Amino acid sequence: MSSNLYTYGVIEKESIELDERGVDGGTPIRTVDYRTLSAVVSDIDTMEPERTDENARAHDEVLREVLLYDGGRTIVPMQFGMTFKSGRTLKSVLRGGRRAFRQALNDVDGMIELGVKLVADEGADLDREAIREDVGGRLAEVSARETDDDLYSDRLVLNRAYLVERDGEEAFGDAVEAIREDYGETLRVQYNGPWAPYNFVDIEIGAQGR
Amino acid sequence: MFLVDDLLVKPFVSILDVIHAMAIDEMYDREAIMDDIKENQLLYELGERSEAEYERRKAELEAELDAAEEAHERVSGKVEVMG
Repeated sequence: MSSNLYTYGVIEKESIELDERGVDGGTPIRTVDYRTLSAVVSDIDTMEPERTDENARAHDEVLREVLLYDGGRTIVPMQFGMTFKSGRTLKSVLRGGRRAFRQALNDVDGMIELGVKLVADEGADLDREAIREDVGGRLAEVSARETDDDLYSDRLVLNRAYLVERDGEEAFGDAVEAIREDYGETLRVQYNGPWAPYNFVDIEIGAQGR
Repeated sequence: MFLVDDLLVKPFVSILDVIHAMAIDEMYDREAIMDDIKENQLLYELGERSEAEYERRKAELEAELDAAEEAHERVSGKVEVMG
């Protein structure tokens, strides 16, 4: 196994080791520290892991494990594919980006991401704007922030990610359940999470840094 | 939309390069392909598409996306068409 490190995300400094299998089957999942930050990593041979369904799922699952670790941890997720040649290059990126990472950790402290999709039947005749307004309003009351809709299919009436306090997950779930009861006959409600807050942090690391 | 300024600041860019780049953008709409990939995933998750059909369509769309990326890379050195 080479010394390349696949990086999942950044947490407050802490030593964590997980048995979970990472991207390209890498084990163990562990942390690399720089000052008050720790990056969650696993070993990997390649610098360009293939984005297969299995690898994408492994990336998400490791982040979720950390998110739920020992009562819950705040994690700033990296996008899929962040690989560094060595612990040294990773640390230099953490050093260069420490203010951004620190800011992002503060922004999503104690928060999780939840996803909601409302899917219409093929060709259904609905007042989509009214539904979005009603459902959007109800979910805004039980969340801190939300993304714009990503309506990549004509079937989608609403598709948003929500940033929710960890303690507020149950209230958010109840709100989704009430929406399902009200709209279940005309729409499919897809509710997923908790996820690391991918959609609410914005840190880009260029290839030259790796 | 192509910016006329491009022709002013890059006089070496021929109108044919511009038309070619616009055609590539039209033919290989990467965002539309990405949307189709996500829709395929959605329909699979909803149980409206079988695993075999999902895998077949996914492979097809990924090949389209690769072709689109290659086509864009070929013209990107010549001219940039602003969306």
